[in-house]
Amino acid sequence: MAKFVVIGERIHCISPVIKKAMDERDPEPIIKRAREQLDAGADYLDLNIGPAERGGDELMKWAVQLLQSELDNVPICLDTANKAAIEAGISVYNRAKGKPIVNSADAGDRIGNIDLAAANDAICLALCSKAGVPSDNDERMAYCQELLERGMTLGMDADDLWFDPLFLVIKGMQDKQMEMLEFIKMLSDMGLKSTGGLSNVSNMMPKHIRPIMDSAMVAMSICMGLTSAIVNPCDLRLMETIRSCDVIRNNTLYADSYLEL
Amino acid sequence: MAFKAVPQKFAAKINALTIGTGEREISLGGENVFPFYSFDAPIENRPKIGIEIHDRGHYAGVPGMDAYYAGADTLAQTAKRAAAAEGADFLAVSFDGAHPDNGDRSVEDCVAAIKEVADAVDIPLVIEGSKHIEKDAKLFEKIAEALSGRNILVMSAREENYKGIAASVGLAYSQKIGAESAVDINLAKQLNVLISQMGVKSENTAMNLGSAAAGYGFEYVASTVDRVKAAALAQNDTMLQMPIVTPVGSEAWTVKESIVSQEDFPEWGPREIRGINMEVSTAAACLAAGSNAVILRHPESVKTISKLVSQLS
Repeated sequence: MAKFVVIGERIHCISPVIKKAMDERDPEPIIKRAREQLDAGADYLDLNIGPAERGGDELMKWAVQLLQSELDNVPICLDTANKAAIEAGISVYNRAKGKPIVNSADAGDRIGNIDLAAANDAICLALCSKAGVPSDNDERMAYCQELLERGMTLGMDADDLWFDPLFLVIKGMQDKQMEMLEFIKMLSDMGLKSTGGLSNVSNMMPKHIRPIMDSAMVAMSICMGLTSAIVNPCDLRLMETIRSCDVIRNNTLYADSYLEL
Repeated sequence: MAFKAVPQKFAAKINALTIGTGEREISLGGENVFPFYSFDAPIENRPKIGIEIHDRGHYAGVPGMDAYYAGADTLAQTAKRAAAAEGADFLAVSFDGAHPDNGDRSVEDCVAAIKEVADAVDIPLVIEGSKHIEKDAKLFEKIAEALSGRNILVMSAREENYKGIAASVGLAYSQKIGAESAVDINLAKQLNVLISQMGVKSENTAMNLGSAAAGYGFEYVASTVDRVKAAALAQNDTMLQMPIVTPVGSEAWTVKESIVSQEDFPEWGPREIRGINMEVSTAAACLAAGSNAVILRHPESVKTISKLVSQLS
């Protein structure tokens, strides 16, 4: 089994510092945040430039080249609703350390992103939803099948579709959590890869609670077979949990210093 | 439907570690496939064979060895003979005599002897210590200094003395280090982590995962080597991608089959043949499990294993 893949979520235009840096094309704050995440153990970096309706392609190109040239071709997850921007990002992307990830497709308006990923030999995050939150696992599975079929028809390798079960906020949707976990198990039993915005579960919880809740959720999800997550790698408790889970699942060989690797 | 072979080559690979200098320089490791799986991808560097000599003289009482080393009175002369053995890629010099219980030969004496050896032969050198923790730390430092520039491999740094050895042998004198553990896969990885945290590059480290003679708990050795190779290649574990060097002679020649005399066990036949058989079968099994180099004592074993390797690579 491969090690759990950590996608660092902290380069996000919702952060005022990053937004400003993107607007002004100021490398420093972006590199700093990228480096922090890599030092903490991130495998991929999510690069979220928002809807970026105007000039998104230029911004994405600039940011991809910036990150890869400064950080040894770090693999990147291209995160925007602007398809042209994703394509522009891929056009300058260096694959030495891993394929680009398209973030993301769903079974609704964004299903075309599967085509985009297939045409560009990229990995595609595939949300098992259409519009809003799926009502149950039957619905999730129907979307999953639809996305899988589309990708396979276009010649994609099933390993390049990472399905997102949709992590739900616990405050408000507490009764839906076990069902979502069971869906991860279904994906895993089908041999499919999975990922998702895991920190969503602890949204609106006090700051000191979030690492605890996220760690519990990641451990339970990995137990069900989750293969990746989009998280804050600077959350030490979370990263320690992920590393420990990798040992327990025999994805990585134990050594006393395993937390430092 | 026709059979279609799918090559099982990995994106990860074993580090290539070079020892020696000039034309005699050799590389251990470098492959991205399982041992001898040359049908999956070319083996970057075929496994290498070392011939072992001892500062207290060769193992007397084995007629073939006696004859091979006849007239070689000094370590340097012995080294010259050994280096000429058919199939030998490197020379391993063991300083058992430096152990406090085996004569406590001084570090200065050992250094003087190894300098003579280094002057006498151009084959790559591997230094084995006395197996005494404190003595070895001192011995290795001085030998690494004396043979500066010869790109030697020092076997071995253990959990108890790796700090000094990494700092002197690895960092101060830029020689290669073998990390030794005793058939303990987690400790093997841990030791590599600790040595790399000292600042020694992984590319300058080999692993001695420990050994046992065939029939003496060898299955633990085989499964350890196997799992290390699998983690290195399939899981891309960079802390296990060091080439594996396995001393075989020291195990094979110290078990009952290789020791008891023909007088006591006439039905077992000559001792020398038994010893060679133990050494050859253990070495072959180590190489099949994943050792990138084996260290042998008998010139006949070296020749036999060398033939095996060249025909399988």
